Amino acid sequence: MAAAKPDPAPDFFATSRAGVADAELRRKLENSTGRHLDHVAQMRAEFPPYDAERDAARAIKEDAIGRLDQLLIELKHQLEANGCTVFIAADAAEARDYILKVARQAGARRVVKGKSMATEEIALNPALEAAGLEVVETDLGEYIVQLRRERPSHIITPAIHLSKEDIGQLFADKLGIPYSAEPATLTAAARDRLRGIFLAADMGITGVNFAVAETGTLVLVENEGNGRLSSTLPETFIAVMGIEKVIPRLADVPHFLEILARTGTGQKLTTYTNFISGPRRKGEADGPGAMHVVMLDNGRSTMLADPVLREALYCLRCGACLNVCPVYRRIGGHAYNSVYPGPIGSIVSPNLFGSAAAQLPFASTLCGACRDICPVKIDIPRILLHLRWKEGQATPPIKWPADARRARAGVARFARMARHPRTMRLLTRAAAIFARPFAHDGYLKRMPGAFRNWTRWGRDFPAPRFRRRKHVP
Amino acid sequence: MTAFHKLIANVKTALERAPRPAEPGHAADGGAAMPVAGDLRRTELIAQFARELAAVGGVFLGALTADQARPRIVALARELGAKAAACGAGVTMDLAPLARALEQSGVAMTRADRKSVADRAAYRDRLAQADLGIVEAHAAIAATGTLAVVGAADRPNSLTLLPPANLILVHADRVMPDLAAAVAALGTATFVTNRVALITGPSRTADIEKMIVLGVHGPKQLYAIAVWPAEGAR
Ligand code: SF4
Repeated sequence: MAAAKPDPAPDFFATSRAGVADAELRRKLENSTGRHLDHVAQMRAEFPPYDAERDAARAIKEDAIGRLDQLLIELKHQLEANGCTVFIAADAAEARDYILKVARQAGARRVVKGKSMATEEIALNPALEAAGLEVVETDLGEYIVQLRRERPSHIITPAIHLSKEDIGQLFADKLGIPYSAEPATLTAAARDRLRGIFLAADMGITGVNFAVAETGTLVLVENEGNGRLSSTLPETFIAVMGIEKVIPRLADVPHFLEILARTGTGQKLTTYTNFISGPRRKGEADGPGAMHVVMLDNGRSTMLADPVLREALYCLRCGACLNVCPVYRRIGGHAYNSVYPGPIGSIVSPNLFGSAAAQLPFASTLCGACRDICPVKIDIPRILLHLRWKEGQATPPIKWPADARRARAGVARFARMARHPRTMRLLTRAAAIFARPFAHDGYLKRMPGAFRNWTRWGRDFPAPRFRRRKHVP
Repeated sequence: MTAFHKLIANVKTALERAPRPAEPGHAADGGAAMPVAGDLRRTELIAQFARELAAVGGVFLGALTADQARPRIVALARELGAKAAACGAGVTMDLAPLARALEQSGVAMTRADRKSVADRAAYRDRLAQADLGIVEAHAAIAATGTLAVVGAADRPNSLTLLPPANLILVHADRVMPDLAAAVAALGTATFVTNRVALITGPSRTADIEKMIVLGVHGPKQLYAIAVWPAEGAR
């Protein structure tokens, strides 16, 4: 198991090593992410307009983020007109305090939660529990990790690091049911347990996928029905949204829905797409009596101010970039020590958690698979490079482990050398003569000494050439 | 409101650090409101809807007239062993005859009239006990096998949420080709005043090793019928 508990001084180097060393974890990750990627490939192949929809969705995000101020004013106005109470939270503490205040005023004791990364981000559950509230995560994956007192290891599939046997054992221990590793049996057990909790809950909290400014409508997508239940049954309902979730018009929503599930879960559409515009109206049998919307900044306006980082605000939190990332697939989500792991996590976490997550932008091979799969075509490698450059300017610098220090020193030496073309050419020629007997088809299969790690895992190194490569215009 | 103004000021300053993109080119709303397709096209759309619904684990019971649908639903209730069912008010159809037919076959019916809904706790308890929930959708989406159900006072959202099985009717003219057409057909105003749920198959999860299991918190079984307008009505 990779370290699961939030570490007071998280050390990515230690946790990622633990992740790599865990062969069982790797098997589970390969299994789940592989299955997901197969589904996505099939979905894309079966839906010719896929790429056009990606461009449309991206254009809408560019527009929305580009006039975020206007859209937030419009959204707030519309939500209030629909009967919602809107609260602006500058940071996590303000959001938590507000939600606690609402819970206290409503006299709430039992809280059911739909899946929400925003509430993970603000560490809401510990705060509610400390105030004496009973908080139950109702998304199956979230319920599983909550029973284990862990954090999710994936933004879409929270229990991706667990096998069905792990979960069978967990349910046998915690729910007192006979051991079974059958997903259907385990799901039924969770349903039974949670149905009673839903019916008794007096407060529901969920996240938001899209917030439509034009109509003041929150769009919530999910498969299980727990988001619908959380927003329908309890008397008080709170939706927590990052300010970047706003989109201009209702007619924009289909463009996002056409790509979100196809990429995120390999479905055409999730089972439930809920459009919620306000609390229960007169004469209605269900729906919350009071509906609150918490708009969360928590560092997002800082990202907005950085012209490169801004692009990360287009993220739909579909989770696909995690599944496709060779680093994520080997170290698992917990190694990142952040609620947001994987490529997109490596971008947003440093902004959220400061120096504790400063190493994350370096945890990438920059292979670009994330950019290729991203439904809104976020250029993740470019942003990661930008963050690496920024980190280079920051104080205090990252404490690198010894082998990373050596590698970085080597690269720094190379960089210095590369600034002197003559010396560089001389050395390359010397290396070319030396390497000639070992090269096959212009590549070296094995590298000596300090370069050994390059070829250790079957990666070839282009052999140095005596003559300069001709540049084809 | 100072917090909000502070946020807006923050966002404004942040935006000014980098130029705003040029004004967007929004695509026009696709699809006119509730277009009535020709008979052939209608049949194609219904067939596609049926295929897609089956692909997500739902069951299409056929394109039937109201008179054919009633006995089929009574038979379904029997197949499910349903002792209690709940139904909401129709959209284009009157569901009262259906409710009566079910009652006559021995199924205890919970209606969503003002009287039964008034005691919200009692109504919810009855729904939680019901074996089958019945509603009419405003529209269906052929491309994805989706039913667009609009909640209302006489069509509570819990109807498609609490019972373990759902039967959703949709008027045969209201099967739209795709999502954009359905959203346009429902119209913006509907989304402001009512809750809308797009339902694509039974409740499901893939949270355990990405293996699909149907029936988590919502219904485990989903049946749909496309209802032709009564003979001679067109
Ligand atoms: S960055 Fe793109 S791929 Fe990654 S979670 Fe966000 S939307 Fe999905």
